[in-house]
Amino acid sequence: MKLTRLRIEQFRQFRTPIEIGDLAPGLNLFTGPNEAGKSTIVAAIRAAFFERHRSGSVDDLRPWGDSAAVPTVELDFELDGQACRLVKSFLAKKRCELTIGSHRLDGAEAEDRLAELLGFLHAGKGASRAEHWGIPGLLWIQQGAAHELRDAVGHATDHLRSALNESLGEVAASGGDELLAAVQAQRAELLTEAGGRPRGAYKEALDREADLDAALRELDAAIVRYRQRVDALAKLRVEQAADDAERPWLAFRASERAATERVAEIRRVEAGLAGERERAVQLEGRITLLRSQLDAFAREEQATDKRAATLEQARQALAAARAPVEQWAARRTESVSALEQARAVLHAARRTETRDTLMREESDTRAKLEAAAAQLARAESAQASALALQRQVAASEVRPADLKALRTQDRQLADLRLQQAAAATRLSYALEPGRSINIDAQTLSGSGEQRLLAATTLILPGLGRLEVAPGGGDLAELAAGASDLEARQHALLARLGLPSLDAAEARQLEHTRLQAALDAAQATLNALAPQGLEALRAEHARLQARAEDASQKLALLADEAEAPALAAVREGPDSEVVTDAGGHTERRNAPHAVPVPGVADAEAAERHAAQSLATIQHSLHQAELSAANAQAAFDAATRELTAARAVVDAPDRAQRVAAANRDLTDARAEQAALNARIAALQQQVAEARPDILQQDVERYRNSADQLEQRHRSRRDELMRLEVELHTEGAQGQEERRAELARDHAQAARRATELGRRARALDLLLGLLHDKRRALTRRLQAPLQKHLNHYLQLLFPQASLEIDENLTPGPLTRPTPTGSETGDFEALSFGAREQMGVISRLAYADLLAEAGRPTLVILDDALVHSDADRLAQMKRVLFDAATRHQILLFTCHPANWRDLGVGARSLDALRG
Amino acid sequence: MPRFLHTADWQIGKLFGQFESDEAALLAEERFAAVERLAQLAALQGVDAVLVAGDVFDAQTVADRTIHRLFHAMAGFGGRWLMIPGNHDAALAESVWTRAERLKAIPANVSVCLRAEPLLLDSARVAVLPAPLTQRNTHVDLTEWFAAAETPPGFMRVGLAHGSVQGILAEDIDSANPIVASRAAEAGLDYFALGDWHGTRQVDDRTWYSGTPETDRFRANDSGQALLVELAAPGALPTVTPVAIGRYRWQATTASLQVASDLDLLLARLAQYGPADVVQLAVGGRSDLAGHRRLADAIGQAQGRARSLMTDLSALQLEPTTEDIEALAADGYLNEVVVELQAAQHDADAERAGTARDALVLLAGLLDARRPAAKGGVQ
Repeated sequence: MKLTRLRIEQFRQFRTPIEIGDLAPGLNLFTGPNEAGKSTIVAAIRAAFFERHRSGSVDDLRPWGDSAAVPTVELDFELDGQACRLVKSFLAKKRCELTIGSHRLDGAEAEDRLAELLGFLHAGKGASRAEHWGIPGLLWIQQGAAHELRDAVGHATDHLRSALNESLGEVAASGGDELLAAVQAQRAELLTEAGGRPRGAYKEALDREADLDAALRELDAAIVRYRQRVDALAKLRVEQAADDAERPWLAFRASERAATERVAEIRRVEAGLAGERERAVQLEGRITLLRSQLDAFAREEQATDKRAATLEQARQALAAARAPVEQWAARRTESVSALEQARAVLHAARRTETRDTLMREESDTRAKLEAAAAQLARAESAQASALALQRQVAASEVRPADLKALRTQDRQLADLRLQQAAAATRLSYALEPGRSINIDAQTLSGSGEQRLLAATTLILPGLGRLEVAPGGGDLAELAAGASDLEARQHALLARLGLPSLDAAEARQLEHTRLQAALDAAQATLNALAPQGLEALRAEHARLQARAEDASQKLALLADEAEAPALAAVREGPDSEVVTDAGGHTERRNAPHAVPVPGVADAEAAERHAAQSLATIQHSLHQAELSAANAQAAFDAATRELTAARAVVDAPDRAQRVAAANRDLTDARAEQAALNARIAALQQQVAEARPDILQQDVERYRNSADQLEQRHRSRRDELMRLEVELHTEGAQGQEERRAELARDHAQAARRATELGRRARALDLLLGLLHDKRRALTRRLQAPLQKHLNHYLQLLFPQASLEIDENLTPGPLTRPTPTGSETGDFEALSFGAREQMGVISRLAYADLLAEAGRPTLVILDDALVHSDADRLAQMKRVLFDAATRHQILLFTCHPANWRDLGVGARSLDALRG
Repeated sequence: MPRFLHTADWQIGKLFGQFESDEAALLAEERFAAVERLAQLAALQGVDAVLVAGDVFDAQTVADRTIHRLFHAMAGFGGRWLMIPGNHDAALAESVWTRAERLKAIPANVSVCLRAEPLLLDSARVAVLPAPLTQRNTHVDLTEWFAAAETPPGFMRVGLAHGSVQGILAEDIDSANPIVASRAAEAGLDYFALGDWHGTRQVDDRTWYSGTPETDRFRANDSGQALLVELAAPGALPTVTPVAIGRYRWQATTASLQVASDLDLLLARLAQYGPADVVQLAVGGRSDLAGHRRLADAIGQAQGRARSLMTDLSALQLEPTTEDIEALAADGYLNEVVVELQAAQHDADAERAGTARDALVLLAGLLDARRPAAKGGVQ
């Protein structure tokens, strides 16, 4: 399809007609700034094809504010070598005319024909939308939409396919996809998409069949049980009838009774035996009793003898126990006197020790008293000298203030004299030898110098008198000051009683020396009597008192010295018994004058004596106890013997012993006879076997019981079975089974039918898919070829995959390290735009090959391409334009100057 | 001159699982209707007794309601009914009969012969010798005692038994419940009424199977009848007249489509089926899609008319013609699919072949359905 001319009138901004003629069969480049009307031209072409002329939804086509407008588009084009003209006007005057060669079509018919030829649809209602645009929607790229490829291809797929079908010679199926979808939907009703497992009605049918099958089996089992029980019932009835007739337990009952009788008989024999045995036991008891009586008599006699022996033993024991008592009593007397002796010695030792102590104390005290007296004397003398020195110190004291005042006055006086000397009129003289002068009362000769302090009269012998008055009043003042000072000094010295300052200084030195001597004397006193003299005196008095106290005590002690206690010791017995702790006793010779022993020794001796006494006392006590015990034993033995003699000597005793002996002999004879009878009875019982007889009884009874029991339980069983069978029979199990079997057969039929249908659908779907895929692969091939043709111009060695919807898929491009693959959607905007354009050109090639009309419109496309890519795209477009008419609208004329065709300026066209 | 109505094998309580449930229900229901018709016939003919030779019930444990319904269905005839149990309703220790008795369902005019002893019909001067089955199956001849059975002098002897007469039914040689073929002659029976065989069949001059009064299977010749028996005098041959009782005609039929006219014949047959027909139809041979479609349409219509029409077209090969495919507009890869399925019908594996056939039918149906209505109408 090639546009040759277009004319637009009353269409949006083209209120006045614009006509573009002489359109080239290949590239046509239209330039113009924004708002120049490029997109309006594209819109006019689209409206001419896509919108129904009768459409009420095309108000946007009219120029703004012109309600009477008749938007009109007139297109001349060539189609399949035939000249065609389409004239379409909207709104105020709705008209559509299509002329193909000499054939003319009007209205909707014309529109439908166009849609069929170009491969698009008209909207059923309202304005035409993207999904209707089909192939033109793909090839006519709107401003800024070049990169949007997938939807455009989607809307064109059916048209592409049908176009391709023609070129491939009817390999595609018409409406195959709808059929495939229908098969898929029907299969999905019965089988799951993924696993092909039963679902929906099919699954329900299978489940129902399985459920019914299970129910059927259950019921079958119940019926089998029922039948078995019916059979059991019949069998039981036969058995019961036989039992009722025979009553087999009666015979066993009779046997049981006979056996019981025999058992009773033997029981009676056993009872007799038991009686004899009891008598034997009684007899045995009597014999034993008699024997024990005789034994008792014998024991009584033995006891009497034994008691006599015991008494003799007790007597001996008593004698033996009494002997130590006397010995221990003697010992105790000795021990008591020894203790008294030891205690007297201890008393003496203690007094001696007291006296010695007092004597030592007295001598010590006396010595201390003497020392204290000496120290007191020295201290008193030291105190006297210190008092003398104190008086001297007080006398020699010059007050430091007075001394200081004296020293100051002296110095001031010296100063005044110097000032006088300085202020005095100096009189130098050199007299002729032998001559003299008098100055005041002084005679001067020779040469010298005189200082004149006051008016002075010089008498020059022979010459008269010279009155010299020293100049200046201060000299007089100085003289007055000096005399005043001297007066005060004299007064002070007078008060102190001293002649001069030097005397004062000497007295001061003397005072200092005396003070030092006083300090020394005071120190001496302190050393001798640190607590003061009174303390020394008190100590001295205390010691004196102690010494006297000690002397008094000694005197008292001396008075006691002749006391009789000590004399007793000194004049004690010639010998003494000393008992030590071990009880060893030795006798030693005692001297006449016994030296008093030490207190410690005396105490030890006293302690030994006391212990010894205690030990002896204890032993004595023990001996006395033993003797008492022996006495008690002796007394008891004496009593017992008396009692025993009384028994043995009873008057009827001998008679009783004889009677007992006689009875024993009789009892023994009776026992022998009884034993023979018992043996005979035992043998009788053993031969009868009563245990076996008892077992026979039980055996017969059990047998009868069991038979009767079985009869009864069978009767119960019969009743139970009858009731059960009546109940179950009423449930109509077999009829229900028949119903179930019927339902099961139906369910199975349905499941089978659905299974067959599912398998058929599965097979059909698989086949359809396979064939369609094969077809798609055949359809993809030519598109791939055209796409690669352009792709190599843009991206050398790149490849682009195409999916079954004929949409571009991943793009694979070589990189320095290998190759990279990316989805179309992931490319940059610019690249997507370029890919969008070349894909559309490839579709155009495909359509052209199929003999379909192609017209490519690019409205301001590729504005995002860089210079290099744009250059490549121009080569692509130029190449494509050799096969298709291309209308290219741009507002960047400079970018397209090297496209190889002249640009038409829209402004110029409107001019 | 005693007259009897001889019937057997009512199989009350039988259900028909191989049919759709509505059809099965009607078939089961009809068995009661058949008994009602028997009662009407007996009343109309004024017979002395109706002899029912076993298998009155199809099973021992039928619902109580079923038992009551049966005896109600018999109410149309107030004369004597003599029944024996058969193998389906044997007189076991606990059986449908003991239940019927407990339910007090059995009217006074109905005698169920549970013991092997003569039953006298005094007014007709007939002694009936029954051979009731007391086990489900037995391998002894229960009619053995007939010969020695004493009957009052002047009474005619009629045997009543349920089982297989030995030697006449090849497939039943080892069957249970045998009856010796010469029993009627040996036992001096005037008539021997038999049950168990569902088609009417004469064994000898005096021995007959009445067959079931309402057909219940496809493989039963001459069923759906009862026998009207007249005994002129002791020793005289009985007059036996079969009377149609059954309602439904059960037919198992096949057709093989080889040439185009075969289909026309089959369609004509289908067109004849009416509400009394219970049909099982198996079709083989080969057909093009158009023929298949016509057959399917005809079957659909016949199913609307017949009581039941079950068809099995699995042996029918589909061979679409070029015209078929053109008519279906099966172009492109759809055409390839059609061709492949057609070939797959001849697969050695029967199931795969069947699936391919089903798929082809499905595809044809889908293609046919999407054809413009105008074209379909013409077809």
